[in-house]
Amino acid sequence: MQAGRGLEANLTLKSGQNSGSSVLEFDRVRIHLGGREILSPTSFAVARGEFVCVIGPSGCGKTTLLRAAAGFVAPSGGAVKRHGLPVTGPSRDVAFVFQDYGRALLPWRTVANNVSLALEAAGIKAAERPARIAKVLATVGLTEHAAKFPAQLSGGMQQRVQIARCLAQEPELIMMDEPFGALDAMTRQSLQDEVSRLVRDSGLTVLFVTHDLEEAIYLSDRVIALRANPTPGKPSLAAMVEVKMARPRDQLMTKEDPEFLRLRRELYGFLAHP
Amino acid sequence: MLARALRFIRPWVFPAVLMGALEIYARTVGRDSDAIAPPSLALLAFGRALLSTGEGSIAQATAFTLGSAGAGLLMGALLGIAIGIVLGLSRRAAHMGFLTVEVFRPIPSVALIPLAMLVFGFGFRMEISVVAFACFWPLLILTQAAVQQVEPGLLEVSQALGLSPLARTTKIVLPAVLPRLFVALRLGVAIALVVAVTVEIAANPSGMGYALMISQQSLAPDLMLAWLFWIGIVGFLINALALRLQRWVAGKMGDVVELESVDALAVSGRAGGAGRAGGSGGAGPSGGGSETGQTSEVLGTGLPHPAGRARRAGDAR
Repeated sequence: MQAGRGLEANLTLKSGQNSGSSVLEFDRVRIHLGGREILSPTSFAVARGEFVCVIGPSGCGKTTLLRAAAGFVAPSGGAVKRHGLPVTGPSRDVAFVFQDYGRALLPWRTVANNVSLALEAAGIKAAERPARIAKVLATVGLTEHAAKFPAQLSGGMQQRVQIARCLAQEPELIMMDEPFGALDAMTRQSLQDEVSRLVRDSGLTVLFVTHDLEEAIYLSDRVIALRANPTPGKPSLAAMVEVKMARPRDQLMTKEDPEFLRLRRELYGFLAHP
Repeated sequence: MLARALRFIRPWVFPAVLMGALEIYARTVGRDSDAIAPPSLALLAFGRALLSTGEGSIAQATAFTLGSAGAGLLMGALLGIAIGIVLGLSRRAAHMGFLTVEVFRPIPSVALIPLAMLVFGFGFRMEISVVAFACFWPLLILTQAAVQQVEPGLLEVSQALGLSPLARTTKIVLPAVLPRLFVALRLGVAIALVVAVTVEIAANPSGMGYALMISQQSLAPDLMLAWLFWIGIVGFLINALALRLQRWVAGKMGDVVELESVDALAVSGRAGGAGRAGGSGGAGPSGGGSETGQTSEVLGTGLPHPAGRARRAGDAR
């Protein structure tokens, strides 16, 4: 579904020769911001179709890691690579779901027109847009709200609009920065299930930052835990745990699964401040 | 019913008392004065001037003043907004332009009249140039400030979506600063009118300001007062029109622009006297509901209120 889109298509093609390279790779990435070490040399790779969650206590550099992966922040050392090529800046092939949906949607555009922005940016002809907008809005269950303005929607629905806009972009990789952090528990759970389903159906690759341990285990194929305080010389990456529970997962069943509880116990310590 | 009538009458009480007092004063103590005339005579003089035609008639003078104020505002605003956006978006450009702006900005626009007269002579072009200069600076400064306050999140979104710089300006920055631009424009309207009349009083032999001067010099206080009131009424109408336009655009964009702050700004501006909408600070039409789900780019020029996303009306959560 990602094929055939100019520069990005080109990129995919090149990576084809270089088979086995990851959708996203951190190669000893170090990040300094304002003279402070935010991320100590960290290496990991994300394979196509994988759902990877990044957890860690606040201030551990989770968001910075995500921003570096999306090309918003340039690493001070090492390299962020996609398909073996270094990332030089934001790309249309990478969608970013911001934590604060209120600041990521254009308040003067309707839901449909907010989604349209992604298509306009990608140079999709005006005649083709309505059908594609309708399709992604249906995917996130917002069809009836197409003509509303973001301020007329609940937080959960606004976040859905943002996800719809990202889907309209037809990315290969979606970055999510604590997307459900500001939502109430029930909305959060239904959105978790919805995103799980979307990702499974579309074969997207996801890098998901959260400070909610259960959310991380519930959603991901792999959890990456970051160290609380980055210390020079010591990698920020503290632990990497595979989550091998079956999908589709269920809010009740999965969370009672002994494997879930074991992972929760194993990872719990990484969220606490030392 | 009575309450409604009272509400309608209340704003007129003070002007009526003032007019009455002036009428009595002018007809008793100031009977022989060359400076004041009773409002009733001023009204008669106004009627006569309204009926007269040709050079110096009310219609012709008003058209000239409004024409040059409008043209000057247009020029100054277009330039000011364009440069303001550049200075607001680029830190480097702002740094480069800082000294130039701060040196030229404090020059009073009327101090430019002698230079403008040398360059353009009397007439339309000279007046336009001075008005444009006067309007350029506040629009530049206010646009720059507005652009600098555009939600950084929105700029990141445009980056993430890969919008071109031009698309970023037209689809994100301009709609985001539109409410503030309207505040700046309403301030500009008031300044334009004041400066245009001032230029006519000081130098240019046309328009309402010149007519005011002529009636003063020909010792016709009634006509002079008539002109004074007329200029006030024109200013009021123009500002009311700008306010309507602002509300209409705001409604289109699914938002209600906070009007109190707008009026406060217009009043605190140096040109406050000329154009001030009467205390109409209420909520505008609550917009949004009528917008259809068209995916066209009609909404490419929308606007949120920059200061108060929280104050949004029509929040149907």
